[in-house]
Amino acid sequence: MKPLASRSLMAALAVAFLVVPLFAGTFTVSLLNEIGIGALVALGLVLLTGVGGATSFGQAAFVGIAAYASAWLTTAHGMSPWLGLPFALLLTGLSALAIGMLTLRLGGHFLALSTIAWGLSISMLFGNLDALGRHTGLSGIPPLAIGGWSLMEPRAMYYLVWTVVGLGFLFSRNLLDSRPGRAIRGLRGGATLLASVGADAYRLRLSLFVTAALLAGLAGWLYAHMNRFVSPSPFSVHASIEYLLMAVAGGLGSLAGALVGSGLVLALKNVLQDVLPWLTQRSGQLDSIVFSALFIALLHFARGGLMAFVRRWRRRHGAGRPAPAHAAPARPLPNRAMPARGTPILSVQGAVKRFGGLVAVNDVSFDLGAGEILGLIGPNGAGKSTMFNLLTGTIPMTSGRVRFLDRDVSGMRQLEIARLGLGRTFQHVKLRPHMSLLDNVALGVHARTRPSILRAGLRLDREEERRILHEARRQLDRIGLGDRAHEMAGSLPLGTQRILEIARALASDPFLLVLDEPAAGLRRQEKLALGNLLRRLREEGMTILIVEHDMDFVMNLVDRLVVMNFGSKLVEGAPAAVRADERVQAAYLGGTA
Amino acid sequence: MALFLEMSAAPRALRWLLFAGASCLSIAAWGADLKVGVISSLSGPVSALGIPYEKGIRAAHARFPEVAGHRVELVVLDDASDPATAARNARKLVNEDKVDVLVGTSGVPGAMAIAAVAQELKTPLISPTPVSLPGPDHDWTVVASQPFELMVSAVVRRMKAEGVGTVAFIGFSDALGDLAYECLVRSAGELGIAVVADERYARGDMSVAGQVLKIIGKRPDAVFAGNSGTPGALPYLELANRRYAGRIYGTHGLINADFVRVGGRSIEGLEVPSGPVLVAGQLPAGDPIREASMAFRASYEKLYGAPPTDAFSAYTYDAYLVLADAAARVRGDAQPGTPAYRQALKDAIVSTRELAGTHGIYNFGPDSRYGSDERAVVMVRMEGGQWKLAAQPAPPR
Amino acid sequence: MTWDIALILGIDGLANGAIYLLAGLGLVLIFSVTRVVFVPFGDIAAFAALSLAAFEAGRVPPTIGLVVFLAAAALLTELGSLVRKGEGRRIPRALLLWGGLPLIPCAIAWAAARAGAPAPVQMIASVLLVVPMAPLLARVVFQPIADASVLVLLIVSLALSFLLSGLGLLFFGPEGTRTSPLAVGSLSLGDGVEVGGQVILMVGTAVVLSGLFFLVFERTAMGKSLRATAINRVGARLVGIRPARTALLAYGYASLLAGFIGILIAPVTTMYYDSGFLIGLKAFVAAIIGGLVSYPATALGALAVGVFESFASFWSGALKDAIVFSLLIPVLMARSYMARHHEEEIEEIDQ
Repeated sequence: MKPLASRSLMAALAVAFLVVPLFAGTFTVSLLNEIGIGALVALGLVLLTGVGGATSFGQAAFVGIAAYASAWLTTAHGMSPWLGLPFALLLTGLSALAIGMLTLRLGGHFLALSTIAWGLSISMLFGNLDALGRHTGLSGIPPLAIGGWSLMEPRAMYYLVWTVVGLGFLFSRNLLDSRPGRAIRGLRGGATLLASVGADAYRLRLSLFVTAALLAGLAGWLYAHMNRFVSPSPFSVHASIEYLLMAVAGGLGSLAGALVGSGLVLALKNVLQDVLPWLTQRSGQLDSIVFSALFIALLHFARGGLMAFVRRWRRRHGAGRPAPAHAAPARPLPNRAMPARGTPILSVQGAVKRFGGLVAVNDVSFDLGAGEILGLIGPNGAGKSTMFNLLTGTIPMTSGRVRFLDRDVSGMRQLEIARLGLGRTFQHVKLRPHMSLLDNVALGVHARTRPSILRAGLRLDREEERRILHEARRQLDRIGLGDRAHEMAGSLPLGTQRILEIARALASDPFLLVLDEPAAGLRRQEKLALGNLLRRLREEGMTILIVEHDMDFVMNLVDRLVVMNFGSKLVEGAPAAVRADERVQAAYLGGTA
Repeated sequence: MALFLEMSAAPRALRWLLFAGASCLSIAAWGADLKVGVISSLSGPVSALGIPYEKGIRAAHARFPEVAGHRVELVVLDDASDPATAARNARKLVNEDKVDVLVGTSGVPGAMAIAAVAQELKTPLISPTPVSLPGPDHDWTVVASQPFELMVSAVVRRMKAEGVGTVAFIGFSDALGDLAYECLVRSAGELGIAVVADERYARGDMSVAGQVLKIIGKRPDAVFAGNSGTPGALPYLELANRRYAGRIYGTHGLINADFVRVGGRSIEGLEVPSGPVLVAGQLPAGDPIREASMAFRASYEKLYGAPPTDAFSAYTYDAYLVLADAAARVRGDAQPGTPAYRQALKDAIVSTRELAGTHGIYNFGPDSRYGSDERAVVMVRMEGGQWKLAAQPAPPR
Repeated sequence: MTWDIALILGIDGLANGAIYLLAGLGLVLIFSVTRVVFVPFGDIAAFAALSLAAFEAGRVPPTIGLVVFLAAAALLTELGSLVRKGEGRRIPRALLLWGGLPLIPCAIAWAAARAGAPAPVQMIASVLLVVPMAPLLARVVFQPIADASVLVLLIVSLALSFLLSGLGLLFFGPEGTRTSPLAVGSLSLGDGVEVGGQVILMVGTAVVLSGLFFLVFERTAMGKSLRATAINRVGARLVGIRPARTALLAYGYASLLAGFIGILIAPVTTMYYDSGFLIGLKAFVAAIIGGLVSYPATALGALAVGVFESFASFWSGALKDAIVFSLLIPVLMARSYMARHHEEEIEEIDQ
């Protein structure tokens, strides 16, 4: 859709939203309020589950914590409902922090089940505390009031609810379009990917979890002062499942999916309630059957939810992507000073790695000086990949030392080593297929700037963001992909993807670039291009370590070679000498050549 | 199999067409209809109560399709046992369907939610579920049911008469359980009976072995269960399993045929309070409650083909009776569908005097939401699969 | 808490745990072959139990109608896909398989509902009646979206569970039932502790069924092909195993397990239209403790959950579930630590 058409559509929607309460009955307005509250919770789910990859069956518990907190404060202590908001958010945030710290290190299915566990426990707690009215709950909660004007009427609450919803969406959109947002969008790529750019996946996930919980908390506060009574049943696991259904039905792939999903589910239930009694007397029992059947049918036609369906339809009808905004000039980020040629960069001393009884790396030592390209080669099973992982801190060493830039990094995690200036690529390319080339490379800049989620959401990070994108564009130009900055990374052929990964590693301004089998699966032309790129980088002063299989590629490129076999170092030296060495020939060819 | 034939497409579409045609005709027709909005839990955990409620009011509607010269139209909505949905339904009924009176719902939190909406939208509400609404802020609600305390204190008096000194409580971990426990503690305290245990379980639980073991460990003279429906049979089954020899009591929530079936031999001798309608045939002749109850049973049997096996459906029948009686006394010339009519109707409801229903004789007033007195409770005992009127305390075991 | 109380609680816990064990095995079986967390498993068990109750009450269980409807739906789906793939010559076979085979249990059930069939016949009829349910549901609901992400499959599974429990409410009403016990009498373990005959039957059947389970998986070709598909779908296809067919087999076995569970617990537990959800949830817990891959760990997890639950109910009946689930978290942490997976990339969501 052309920008003008989409802008006027947005404007029309905005006007419609503003005037709806003036024409619609209070029931419709109440329904819209409920849709808004549901949209807030679903928004948190789109962020947490859709973007962050952590399925949560416990969001309703956070809604409940906030609702009960504010209800308790305003009924038992007679305080103003506006004070209930910070109190509710504080309580919700702290609970989310505690629960997250306990459970977010769990992986996959364990995490999902843990959300059921605490979701259930918390909602049970509500029904068993005397102070919270046990199972009858708390009623007579005072409504909100601005000045003298009470917000008890659904029409009045409508504006507040939808203002909050709008702010929530703005915050989320700003968040995703920023440095922490880029890292959050990288969560599905795995902790290793994020660690390689210096981002802590666990902390990101924790912040995301708390953010989603706070969104649910906002919804809870609104719920309490809109309905003016709270009881345990709307905050049970069933309610959490319903929020998840909303998010999935609307589409986990886009923020609008939360709104669409919430509207779809609640409106559908309402319509069924109206229509079914015409068809049969037993409508009460048919509601859930028809609803579930329609829901399943929806997912059959649109697996990614309604919004995914809309996006596909728009693309098919030639909507095309919006033209990217012209890049604003920005001050470049400070670069690290490269050490003089020859200074020792990396020093591996006696590295040993044992996996149970198997010794994968057996007392390997070598050095690497600034400005040179070192190749680490060997036949299959030589232990190259394991050595690589030891260097980068992906797996811990059994014994031995590694020194990087005069620091002992032997026990450090990959994350920390990356931040010290080690950029790496992966044997199986780890790009984010649905992010643009620019964004993928910008992910590499992560460790060089600082804006947090809060600043990003409030749009206070525009300066840093410009600098990040400037740097990312610079790296893209360096590898020759500058004119394709806004294409999706998933559409690139393998060779180009590998080069893009190198750009991402370069974007972190490393002292040392470590490449894991970069030539694997490349065609001849691509290999030539890669070789040229690496040579150019060396001229610019970069130090490179390549782990590779392909002898031809490596021979014309590297300054020195280290050959490994059966976990031990076989020889080390200039390429020509190594090639002529009998032991190397025996290792590769299995006998005297 | 019959159900599927009932629901197959062709006859349903035909009914839809006929209904649509008929309503088009009737819209133009008569004077204002009296619209009654009914909210009940037809699905979800409280549906065991909600479904009989719907049946009861339809039986009443079948018996009295016209009230005070107005045709009555029932609009029934399901709240799926969720209080927020109940409140939303109440709003919908008043704002969109323009009902003149609300009846509902079948769970205490839901009923309280509707009461708040009824108060805000100034529509009379007749609740068949006992709710506690303290203060003068809820004068648009009346309750067509015995207060829970009334029922529980009847049981406790019977306990005292049968020589019980200590009683253990086991009930649902929900609003009903809380209510039953509070009433038990209050009544037992007044009569000097000690409550020695407070055990709870969820409706869906498959076993209460732990809870019952704890109770037996305290050796109470009697066990009182605060629960309802077939999940209510679980403690009695387990007590029988553990060969408990003391007396057993319960609430009126246990009165339905499925409970009796599931409870089997373990509930022999169980004593519960009940509205008189349950044992209508055993009431003395000439009792106005007996008349109303027999009429209810006849109407129910005519509509559903079998007499009622529970006492819940009678509550909404009574609600309809209250409504009909009040509508006949509405003063002024306000028409149904107007706020003035709702106000007049509410005034008439609140001034009901000596109305004989199936669950007692109703007298409403401005001070209290309830209209029942001691005539609304009788004690019944389970004997051989039947509920028998137990006017006298049981002999010692 | 004395020893005999602990014993009673332990036995009660084991009995419940035996049920969760069987249900957990079924869940893991289906997940490992199809990546679907089959939440409606519990609902199918509930249907078996409620159908048996209907038989005992002399009524024709509406489950028959449901199975017929599902068979028709599956047949149409299969015919539609065959026509679209242009494999018209396989239509007669499809008719027989999808239209004919599921009707056999229906016919048996129809006969059993008539004039006083003996109890064992009724029980077998109940179990057989629900066996077609999971495969038919899978054909209609899951097969068309078989390559969707695990999350979408889970959500569809949840929706299906709601649908089935709604149908249960429609067919069987809101009140629960118990069927007559299969084994009366009890075994005395001395000191006033008695173990009911039904409980012994439950635990015994669980042991036998899980033993059979392991045997089938280890010894028969069919079991091995199921395991192969679970480990590597593409590899299995390369050696001539058809994933879709093994998936249906898995669903069928699971349905059979569910049927057994249903008739085993019906005499000792009041079964409601929504009992399935709770059974499914506890089974899910056990399955996750087993990492959704390991049967022995699932079995242990199930028994542990059952026993924990029993003791927790003694401690506080109202908070029993909260206690069990809170204790679950450290167990999950331990389990997650032990199952240190290096492949931590998360599936992309469907676009």
